[in-house]
Amino acid sequence: MAQRLKEVDVVVIGVGMVGSILAKELAAAGYKVVGLERGTTRFTVPEFQSPGIHDELRFDVRKALMQDNTREPVTFRNHSSETGLPIRRWESFLPGTGLGGSMVHWNGQTFRFQANDFELATRTRERYGKGFLDPDLTLQDWGVTYDELEPHYDRFEYLLGTSGKAGNLKGQIQPGGDPHESPRSRDYPTPPQKEHYSGALFRKAASSLGHHPFPQPSSNLSQPYTNPEGLKMNTCVFCGFCERYACEHYAKSTPQTFILPVLLANPNFELRTGCQVQRINLDSSKKRATGVTYIDNAGRELEQPASLVITCLFAINNIRMLLLSGIGKPYDPATGKGVVGRNYAYQTMSTVASFFDEDVIINPFMASGASGTMINDFAGDNFDHSGLGFVGGAFIGAVNTNGRPIQYHPTPPGTPTWGKGWKDAVVKHYNHTVMFSLHGSSVSQRQNYADLDPTYKDAWGQPLLRITFDFPKNDLKMAEYVTARGVEIGKAMGAKQVVGSPRKGPYTTQQYQTTHNTGGTVMGNDPSTSVVNRYLQSWDVPNVFVIGASAYPQNASWNPTGTLGALTYWVADALKSKYLKSPGHLVSP
Amino acid sequence: MKYVLATLILLSASVARAAPLPEVATCQACHGVHGEGVVDGGKPRLAGQSAHYLDKQLRDFASGARDNAIMGAIAKGLNDQTRSKVVAFYASLPVPVPLEHASATAAQAERGHQLAIEGAEGKRVQACNNCHGPDGSGVALSAPALAGQLATYLAAQLKLWQQGGRKNDAGNLMSSVASKLDDADIAAVTSYYAGLSASTPASH
Amino acid sequence: MKLPTSPHVTRRSFVVSAGVATVVPPAVALVAGSAGAAAAAAHHPARSSPPALASAAAPVPPVSSTPERPVYLFFNTAEVQFIEAACERLIPADDAGAGALAAGVPNYLDKQLGGAWGAGERLYRSGPWIQGSPSQGYQLPFTPAELFRTALRAINSDLARQGPPFSELSADAQDGYLKSLEKGSHDLDGVPAAVFFDMLLKMSIEGFFSDPVYGGNRDMVAWRMIGFPGAYADYYEAIDHHGVKFERAPMSIGEDGQGHVHVHPEIPASVG
Repeated sequence: MAQRLKEVDVVVIGVGMVGSILAKELAAAGYKVVGLERGTTRFTVPEFQSPGIHDELRFDVRKALMQDNTREPVTFRNHSSETGLPIRRWESFLPGTGLGGSMVHWNGQTFRFQANDFELATRTRERYGKGFLDPDLTLQDWGVTYDELEPHYDRFEYLLGTSGKAGNLKGQIQPGGDPHESPRSRDYPTPPQKEHYSGALFRKAASSLGHHPFPQPSSNLSQPYTNPEGLKMNTCVFCGFCERYACEHYAKSTPQTFILPVLLANPNFELRTGCQVQRINLDSSKKRATGVTYIDNAGRELEQPASLVITCLFAINNIRMLLLSGIGKPYDPATGKGVVGRNYAYQTMSTVASFFDEDVIINPFMASGASGTMINDFAGDNFDHSGLGFVGGAFIGAVNTNGRPIQYHPTPPGTPTWGKGWKDAVVKHYNHTVMFSLHGSSVSQRQNYADLDPTYKDAWGQPLLRITFDFPKNDLKMAEYVTARGVEIGKAMGAKQVVGSPRKGPYTTQQYQTTHNTGGTVMGNDPSTSVVNRYLQSWDVPNVFVIGASAYPQNASWNPTGTLGALTYWVADALKSKYLKSPGHLVSP
Repeated sequence: MKYVLATLILLSASVARAAPLPEVATCQACHGVHGEGVVDGGKPRLAGQSAHYLDKQLRDFASGARDNAIMGAIAKGLNDQTRSKVVAFYASLPVPVPLEHASATAAQAERGHQLAIEGAEGKRVQACNNCHGPDGSGVALSAPALAGQLATYLAAQLKLWQQGGRKNDAGNLMSSVASKLDDADIAAVTSYYAGLSASTPASH
Repeated sequence: MKLPTSPHVTRRSFVVSAGVATVVPPAVALVAGSAGAAAAAAHHPARSSPPALASAAAPVPPVSSTPERPVYLFFNTAEVQFIEAACERLIPADDAGAGALAAGVPNYLDKQLGGAWGAGERLYRSGPWIQGSPSQGYQLPFTPAELFRTALRAINSDLARQGPPFSELSADAQDGYLKSLEKGSHDLDGVPAAVFFDMLLKMSIEGFFSDPVYGGNRDMVAWRMIGFPGAYADYYEAIDHHGVKFERAPMSIGEDGQGHVHVHPEIPASVG
């Protein structure tokens, strides 16, 4: 029998980036907030300190900072005709856990989506006509526009101290920035990070082809910075242990560096760790949440009543929370009905490897997670897709983030996978190779979705989430096209050998390709194709808000985090100025 | 704070008298016969320090990027060849046994050790050894050795970083750190490093 | 243009400074009444040869040509014989540098398989076990330790039936056998040969390139071979020197101020 605790105003499920920011906003506005985090507390000192943190085997290969897959994995299949099987070791995507969530171990790549992305369905139809898209694709508009989110993007970037160079200030194109970006009200809070040699080579080559290279926006800071919360961050030293690691220098923007000290000092907020939320509880009408039930580290079941429940989990876990709680109608691909789990998407990643002679010294180990040089000329809808047969695109960049040798030892095709031939090729190419990242969009299609697995369970006895996903043909066509553009740049760099590796199907869970899982609780204006409205409020249970990249109807050409930060502030505003003053549907369902 | 001076005794009197390298005679006058420094806050140990670091400091003194009237004048007088010889010489010297031992209180020793290997979350200060190497023995091409350096010198430098009197730290890395330390922290961490013996030169 | 990692040193100055270094004993200190200094002196090793010049590119310490055998805690003798020979074929010694044996790769494997990782750390171990598509990855009940035990037993019996043990085959024959595992569709008492081979290769690469704190990559030979500087990594200034080789000896998580690496293979694959 669950022990019932004293009611609070707000329960925040998951104290990662979203939960930290929201909890701080609401606690500062005077509300009593409880944050429930399944993982542990951790702080820059002592948990993120060197030299122990610079351990490739532990953090990169064995995923020490990631969600405990021994107790809570995910099952997967490419198609509905197959049986979903557990992902027994994380590889393709690496959900985080613990205070600060995945933003403790992220790479710091901080982007805005473009205006076009938020109205993708409408604008694609307008530009290319109705028959352009594959009928299986389920492109949708978001219900919110770039212009509405712009001040929140700005606020998020200034919270993090993101280092970059504006390309479009209030409509004026700025030299040295990205000319394709949608207008910004002001420049980044800190200037771009220093350019890596691979970025310099890329920049010259890309410019020579008429493209528009610019420094990748980075939340690994280029200089000391004090954010609007009064928290001081330091200069990144390019240690090359960014993604999958925590930063010892207070230089990577994580909740620990940009907000947690302020949140944790507010007596209106109570953090409880080691709490595995089992479900959001509903009353008999099923239209109102009464709070949540969770199990703590000692196995005790507790009920936390609350007036408002906000689930701020990692995208796939948000989907699962709604399914386990019976909030919203689960999606059925056979009928096309239902919404929870619908429009699951990912990221379509390709690479180009440029092999140089041994007199060209690259030093790949000197890097931050976002110290790249890149172009958006082939991203989003920045180029004319007429006749190409696909929608979407990729940013292309010399995004060198590390040279950690267990996982990074590039060799040209035809190299044996072991023996003297392998070893000699590794030595020959390790310090003389430039890898491009081609970071491609991911459209949604009706066959890709998430639901609850019928067989496998987590350690608490609840069904696991099952992901059914394969790359839409649209995205594989896009990958071919952008990879060919990337190879052109590689050749223009003067490399001895340039190898393009466009993403090919089927999607495999056995190779890392980003942790940019999106969709499943999508936002929109139409309850028949979305789970939450434009304020990320559940259409079915108005005192439940669902915040995560699970809100994205499809994924764009850039990393999701920047946009999620903007949405978080957008929702915080809506909660404080509208919902909490007058609870109820903010948009009529 | 009390200091107990340790005196280095030379076995060979002839070595004590002769300058091993003519170019370092000027250096020895202040930094000691064996580059061991002087416990007055102004003359650090040079012996066993990283050549790369010593070279950069001399260049910075010469250009004014690091502000010191005496060292500025001396550094300006060094041409590239001489400077190279001098720094290589000092880098090659064995690190002498620490000249001073701050008999720190147990709490200070604890605090100094903590700052060195772990940092302080409340002050948002990372572990010094992250950059300065295991046991503060230095990381070649990145950060100088702190182990066995004179506490008074280290404390004076931290104060300069704090007050803006020293600005030649790339990326403002040291001024960011120093600005967050209070006097008790400085006393603790400098006495900790001064008391560490470093038996290998900073450049591994 | 080479990064000025070590200032130009004349032969004369090398000789002179070396001479000074040998004459001045570093560890002699007379202290008036301080136990601390005496203790410090005790920790200060005497030098028997001139210290290396302050070149950041420190000379590569020779890896012993007959490295002492590790104490194997997981592998039995028959398994050791296969593992040592097989790893050395996967990553052989050659002109480029040391191979798996000298680098301590079998030792790494032994300590991992005998520890938490071998016992199934970070592996979801609930059934049912259904063979899936390659996209779905590993779907066997074996922990890494069980997988190795089972496969090695089957391999050694298989070889015993055919002729000499693996360690006595010629290098070519060894490679041939390994290829038969790599491409094989047979199974080794339930362990698909290709799955065993994959795990052996993957763990060998880990043992070669991981931090020496885990017992492999001895003397950081693999890092020296490719020029990876290791765990201490502040490149704020060096990143500006485009195209210039970074000449610094690699550094380990486990090394102390004297450069001695303390091995701790039991570091867990989790935090908190």
